[in-house]
Amino acid sequence: MHTQFRGRALIKFLFWAVSTVLVFAYAINTYRSGQMVRWYYFQANADGYAINAKAFEQATRENPVSLVIGEFADVTGQRAVRVTKGSRLPEGTNGVIDLVTVDKGDRVRLEGGQLVVTVPWQIKEAKGFKFRDGFTHKNIRTNPWAGLWNLVMVGLVGLCLGFLAEGFTDVLGFKFQKIDHSVGH
Amino acid sequence: MFEFLIAGVQAPWVLLVFTGFTVGIVGGFIGVGGGYMVTPALIVFGFPGYMASGIDMTHIAGKGIVSTVRHRQLGNVDWILALSMVAGTMFGVEEGIRLLGYFKHLGLSTVALLGASVCLMGTLFIYTLRETLRSHRLLTKMAREGRALAREVSTSSLPRLFQGLPLAPLVRCRTARVIVSMWVIVLVGVVTGVLAGFLGVGGGFIRVPALVYVVGASTHIAVGTDLVEIVFSGAYGCLRHSIEGNVDFVAVLFMLCGAMFGAQFGSIATAFVRGPAIRYMLAFSLALATLGAGLPLVNLLMGGKLVWLTALSVIITLGQMVFLCLFILSLVYFAYRANRGRWVPDWAAPLLVHNVTTGG
Repeated sequence: MHTQFRGRALIKFLFWAVSTVLVFAYAINTYRSGQMVRWYYFQANADGYAINAKAFEQATRENPVSLVIGEFADVTGQRAVRVTKGSRLPEGTNGVIDLVTVDKGDRVRLEGGQLVVTVPWQIKEAKGFKFRDGFTHKNIRTNPWAGLWNLVMVGLVGLCLGFLAEGFTDVLGFKFQKIDHSVGH
Repeated sequence: MFEFLIAGVQAPWVLLVFTGFTVGIVGGFIGVGGGYMVTPALIVFGFPGYMASGIDMTHIAGKGIVSTVRHRQLGNVDWILALSMVAGTMFGVEEGIRLLGYFKHLGLSTVALLGASVCLMGTLFIYTLRETLRSHRLLTKMAREGRALAREVSTSSLPRLFQGLPLAPLVRCRTARVIVSMWVIVLVGVVTGVLAGFLGVGGGFIRVPALVYVVGASTHIAVGTDLVEIVFSGAYGCLRHSIEGNVDFVAVLFMLCGAMFGAQFGSIATAFVRGPAIRYMLAFSLALATLGAGLPLVNLLMGGKLVWLTALSVIITLGQMVFLCLFILSLVYFAYRANRGRWVPDWAAPLLVHNVTTGG
């Protein structure tokens, strides 16, 4: 009986171990191939300029960084691409500077066909904690299917890890019995 | 350090795993998501506030599943109770978010949020602690008289009041061994959902006392059943945050790797203790959370002159993860000693279960 239990436990553990490896491998591959990033930075949520905020994170009022505006396939480096709300974002985009911010001119301004960044980030607060809030993630729209993908994946990962751990303790011989809640209640 | 391409930050992945682990222990033991601890930790690691909330909520959904799987094995989940509450919880969460929006519109969101947190958690802390102390005394007395100790001892008379409400339809929760009006369960779901949505947390530390003191479930069942609710509310939050672009899934994966081990430990640890031990932990976490919200509120009401209070609340919020974990570890250690007939402190002995069955 004991051997039979151990055998079943081993099969259970191996099944969930393989499932966990497959789910993690798929998630990591989706991330490394850039698919997850493309789903995330999917469309512009406002009229403005698609940028990569890393290109100008050192900019200051004294030493501003200028971005060349053009019709580029990607925005790696000091480039910006004019986008309208709902249009697909070029490769390498991690934020959109909207026209309202550009028109205000206190953080970013237009100068001779170039976008000049002077204040790349500000300090903001959430739940009493301060953090650097830059142009990253701003005015972008994530592919709605990516939300569903996240939900399905987190469910799969949770199930795999939960049953993997249960299988592992079963293999070790710790088959936890149900607590008898009827006693003394 | 790991570069999170979606979040756009470099953060120490080891600390993410460690955070998942510690919050997993606490969450698995007292049935909370731990959002009030994780979001600040992620902000400290460099994630923007909105991203921290999204990653936290998504990880809570996954961790909830991991813990639920184990609590199901331990027989701590009442599926009828959990599923009866889901719709009410969802409705409540949505209304809570709208209520928060209304206060934001009035320009009172921070004061309202902190004030509500302090009042609610403070009241729950006082009630839970007083009732648990009474139960602890009762357990000690029973042990001294040589009587068999029950897994659960509760001295609250509130459950009898709510179970006596003759409102059809009545629901029979077999695992929880409770017969109660469906309306009471739905009401618990709605009220705890509103508070969770308004305060921006998973709601576990409100729902667990509600399940114990209103519905009349034992603490173990309340923890297991609440984790099912957390899976649903976490999944809803995950979907909303993901669509809004607040989730870096790789950060979630790191946290879940730690949470897998932590949640196992926390869930299994419930098998080694009696109900009041879990309620003590709940009371302590409520006290620390009240303090964590109360200090910034005092600073706010003083016109922002006492900035050190906010810094202190940061230390308390992050420190409580370690404190609660150490407390749970010490209880399991005492249970291990008690099982081998060795000395354990007098206060701990009645809180521990001496014959946990793990046979194949």
